[in-house]
Amino acid sequence: MSSSDVCDSDSAGPTWAFLTLRLWLGARALLAGVEKFSEKITVQEPLRDADGTPDPSGAIVEIQKKVYGFSHYHAVPESLQTKFLQEPLLSSALTTPFYAALGYVLVILGVMLLLGLWTRFSLVLMAVLYTLLMIGLLLIRQEDGVAWLGIHVGLIAFALTLAKHNRFALTR
Amino acid sequence: MPKFQQRGQTPSAADKRGGDAASTFMGRRQFLTTAAAAGAALAFARPARLLAQAAGGERLNVALIGVGAQGRVLMEDTLKIPGIRFVAVCDIWDYNRQYGQRYLKKFGHLVRVYHDYQEMLDQEKDLQAVIVATPDFWHAPHAIGCMKAGKHVYCEKMMSNTIEGAKSMVRAMRETGRLLQIGHQRRSNPRYLVALHDLIGKANLLGRITTANGQWNRAVSADLGWPARATIPPDVLHRYGFEDMHQFRNWRWFKKCGGGPLSDLGAHQIDVFNWYFGGPPKTVMAGGGNDYYPRHEWFDNAMVIYKYEIPTGPARAFYQVQTTTSAGGYFEQFMGIEGTLKMSENPKYTAIYREANAPDWEPWVRLHYLNPQEAPAPADADSDSSLVDARETAELATYALPVVLNKPVHQPHLENFFNAVRGQGKLNCPADEAFRSEIAIFKACEAVYARTMVEITPDDLKI
Repeated sequence: MSSSDVCDSDSAGPTWAFLTLRLWLGARALLAGVEKFSEKITVQEPLRDADGTPDPSGAIVEIQKKVYGFSHYHAVPESLQTKFLQEPLLSSALTTPFYAALGYVLVILGVMLLLGLWTRFSLVLMAVLYTLLMIGLLLIRQEDGVAWLGIHVGLIAFALTLAKHNRFALTR
Repeated sequence: MPKFQQRGQTPSAADKRGGDAASTFMGRRQFLTTAAAAGAALAFARPARLLAQAAGGERLNVALIGVGAQGRVLMEDTLKIPGIRFVAVCDIWDYNRQYGQRYLKKFGHLVRVYHDYQEMLDQEKDLQAVIVATPDFWHAPHAIGCMKAGKHVYCEKMMSNTIEGAKSMVRAMRETGRLLQIGHQRRSNPRYLVALHDLIGKANLLGRITTANGQWNRAVSADLGWPARATIPPDVLHRYGFEDMHQFRNWRWFKKCGGGPLSDLGAHQIDVFNWYFGGPPKTVMAGGGNDYYPRHEWFDNAMVIYKYEIPTGPARAFYQVQTTTSAGGYFEQFMGIEGTLKMSENPKYTAIYREANAPDWEPWVRLHYLNPQEAPAPADADSDSSLVDARETAELATYALPVVLNKPVHQPHLENFFNAVRGQGKLNCPADEAFRSEIAIFKACEAVYARTMVEITPDDLKI
């Protein structure tokens, strides 16, 4: 790709539009996936003043910290899992592998979109993933979540119409 | 006196707890600094009595006089402290002596048992310290006897059931040069220390303190009984000052043995008033009565109003003790023009509240001295009609105190005592300081019966 490709008056608009969508959808998926590996934990530390000196009383404080790691992985909040469990159409044979894969798939799809790896394929996979999530949310009547995912899928569909203008990508 | 300093001092201008901000308790700073690392390390350690005993250090031989309910609490907590070896227990009741001996044996402490404390002091030559947890009227004879025998003493509060008894303990401490720590254990609780020295002192979060209140309310409870087979012979009871077994088991409610609920429960919290305000009050008014328990001599409820003179002006404190309802639990609360601090040994009652017009507390949040709690949902427009007072003050913002205590509440105070015995710092509640505080309790009891305002004069504080 050369700069003249981008600057071409006919294709510059759609190119930037697609790039914007790609970055937004990629970053959204990547961060949503990464957050599934995070957890807020309570740790105990010595109380320190502004200079870092431990308090003379030897006081220990409990502090909430956000940490990341594979051991902190959780696909969906427990409250949501409980609701899925109560839904007869969502058997554990379906949900268990879905939970196990969700965070990893989001991270991989996010990275693929940001780097521009098999972009069309990534977008289609993302649309499938969001559709599966939508089905689950619809069954437990989480209408807000369904609408939220609908917006995402709309953006993906729009991106697919612009995919021929894909630039700054590792693969076409 | 705690520092009620001017605003403007930020955490970055930490005063290292010295200079004009020093309170009467700031003299302990040096010890506290020395102990800080050890305290922090201990706090992280998983409490384990057997591990504690194996931890070594300079071993102190300790005896316990009084293996009743409070004595057992102190015994249990002492077992968690490294380097302490129980060598003797003393109690006039076989039932308690056997319990203490058997319990301590489980942790490898093979103790000799005694019926009479004087005999114990005569026999136990290699004894460094004694924990006294007997009925109040025995505190003075026991503590003084131990100090005269060269032992350091940790004595439960109240010091005595009489002012003269308490004064005699202070005199003995001074004459013998022995240590006498009184069991107002909140004075060694890190949460109370941080609240006083950092939140009230260094940060001045409350602004000028004008009012305090506190309470300890307990539900109705039956008098304590005893197994028939364990009844103490009347001649033994009489020899030790008890009329009968019921009085022996329920001594707290009898005037010649204990000090009633203001002494039994209120002493801890009225001590916090005096500690935080830097000295005893000037006057006290009180009311109370024996309204529920027919077999008790002492009143079973009391309401007390103190007046203090602190450097920023007068402050009044209300205290109530109830033994027929547990409503509200137990706490001490200090109210200033910019915030209110609610303290309790129970963390669930502890919080600090910020007035809407107070300066920003965010710097203290960043340093983890405070933890903001979720704000209540704002009232909707429709609910305005339910306001009773058109000038209602804005709701206070709530902050938690994130200081945690990973050990039983008495353990830090016992640790402070044993460290002082080893020459590692000063006592957090020596008898002379405890007396200056407990005089307010003696005077409150006097005010209940006098039905008039009672003054606390400098003469009352003379030893």
